[in-house]
Amino acid sequence: MTISWGNIEKILTYGNMFQQGLIVTVLLALCTVFFGFFLAFGLALMLLSDVRPFRYLEKVKTDDINKKKRNDFIAKFNPVKLIANCYVQFVRCTPMLVQIFLVYYIVFGFITLPKFTFFGFIQFERFFPAAVALALNSGGYMSAVIRGGIEGVDNGQTEAARSLGMSKAQTMYHIILPQAIKNILPAVANEFVTIIKESSICYTIGVQDIMFNVKSVQSATFIIAEPLLMATFLYFCLCFPTSKIIEYVERRMRQSDNR
Amino acid sequence: MTTDNTALIKVRDLKKHYNYGAIKALDGVNIDINKGDVMVVIGPSGSGKSTFLRSLNLLEEPTDGSIVFDGRDIVNEKINLDEFRERMGMVFQHFNLFPHKTILENLTLAPQIVKGKSKEEAEKKALELLDRVGLKDRASAYPVQLSGGQKQRVAIVRALCMDPEVMLFDEPTSALDPEMVGEVLEVMKELAKEGMTMVCVTHEMGFAREVGNRVVFMADGNIIEEGTPEKIFDHPESPRLKDFLGKVLEA
Ligand SMILES: Nc1ncnc2c1ncn2[C@@H]1O[C@H](COP(=O)(O)OP(=O)(O)OP(=O)(O)O)[C@@H](O)[C@H]1O
Ligand SMILES: [Mg+2]
Repeated sequence: MTISWGNIEKILTYGNMFQQGLIVTVLLALCTVFFGFFLAFGLALMLLSDVRPFRYLEKVKTDDINKKKRNDFIAKFNPVKLIANCYVQFVRCTPMLVQIFLVYYIVFGFITLPKFTFFGFIQFERFFPAAVALALNSGGYMSAVIRGGIEGVDNGQTEAARSLGMSKAQTMYHIILPQAIKNILPAVANEFVTIIKESSICYTIGVQDIMFNVKSVQSATFIIAEPLLMATFLYFCLCFPTSKIIEYVERRMRQSDNR
Repeated sequence: MTTDNTALIKVRDLKKHYNYGAIKALDGVNIDINKGDVMVVIGPSGSGKSTFLRSLNLLEEPTDGSIVFDGRDIVNEKINLDEFRERMGMVFQHFNLFPHKTILENLTLAPQIVKGKSKEEAEKKALELLDRVGLKDRASAYPVQLSGGQKQRVAIVRALCMDPEVMLFDEPTSALDPEMVGEVLEVMKELAKEGMTMVCVTHEMGFAREVGNRVVFMADGNIIEEGTPEKIFDHPESPRLKDFLGKVLEA
């Protein structure tokens, strides 16, 4: 197999297909990160929650140390956290491709989506399940980051706020989150870069992203290598500047921290 | 100084254990804190001073015992913890100012969202108090722009903005450069003069002697000796206290 200028010129005549693919990929990544973020935020709050139906067992006084240990163990049980944990583990321990197929063929096999195109060329009934699947996946991963960002805020802040009489919710909203956001935002932006790359498997359910159009051009022209090079170039041009910008903003934010 | 003898806080058999009793941070503390008391808590590192102080406003949940504050057992009764905490101010070793808020916002946030004061009302009081600690002109600065001593004075004012009945101090000057200790102690002295009930963990023996009306010596999670500054510093009884004073006073 050879790579020739002639071939490259030939596939460039399919430029608008690559352009459409590019738009789909970026749009998919944006939707994913947007909805994934809310999911992740909810999951993070669940992971940090203190819903313990048996907490009264902590207070039960007993001289039997084993009984006390058993009571404390049961008192730790937090169903909300357990559910969130199960979800995160499911997302982490199953392949993304499987998750996409599950969502597309099973979930949206039962739910019929309206068939229409938006922006002229994006098929909603394929785009939407892909965005849902990616958001479900990305949300699972991002929840750990958000939780870490919240936990990374010095405990003294919570103590100070609580000692002033603020409730847990007030402390979270007024004190912790504004500080945690600095830890969280760069990671969310990086997730955007990750999703741009990982969304490339969505061509398997017919989402017309960059990879899908690579396949189309390949089968239309019988040229194999050059469309792939084109895709490589496009992904790189999307990801490299974005991650550089994030790095820069992150550095700036850190500088303003230790004024 | 107003010292009537109604105990504001009654601590009974207070225990805080870790690892199922392997570590006894507090092991049966009994003490009455009266209105207007300036109680100074001293003792070697790890003796449970911080744990005791933090138990008083339930930042630390006691393992056993009771704390009766203003007639209510805050450990064992079902109480609204937040409502009760706003009546006790706390000042920390590391200030714990909110770095993302200006000094004025630091001072006015809790009065507004906890006490429901209006912004104007909260700011008026905050500026008044800031003025008294000589920091009115720094109201719009951020905590990073202040020195340690200034931060701690702001932290004290932040607690005062809630009109607390008791102020708890946990080594408020330990994180400060020596030249800044004085300005913070001065503010605390003022507060004591006005009759504020204070419980103060400190290593500043001069302050303890001058400002405290009661000194409590803790060791191994217990109160070993308690009394007036004269009694504790000039006529210590227990060997632990004598030993401790020997070490601190020669340093
Ligand atoms: N979370 C914890 N888990 C286990 N042990 C703890 C914990 N917190 C405190 N302790 C132990 O409790 C004891 C009392 O600690 P505390 O911080 O109250 O001492 P302190 O008198 O304030 O000491 P310092 O002067 O160093 O501040 C120490 O032995 C400490 O190791
Ligand atoms: Mg301490």
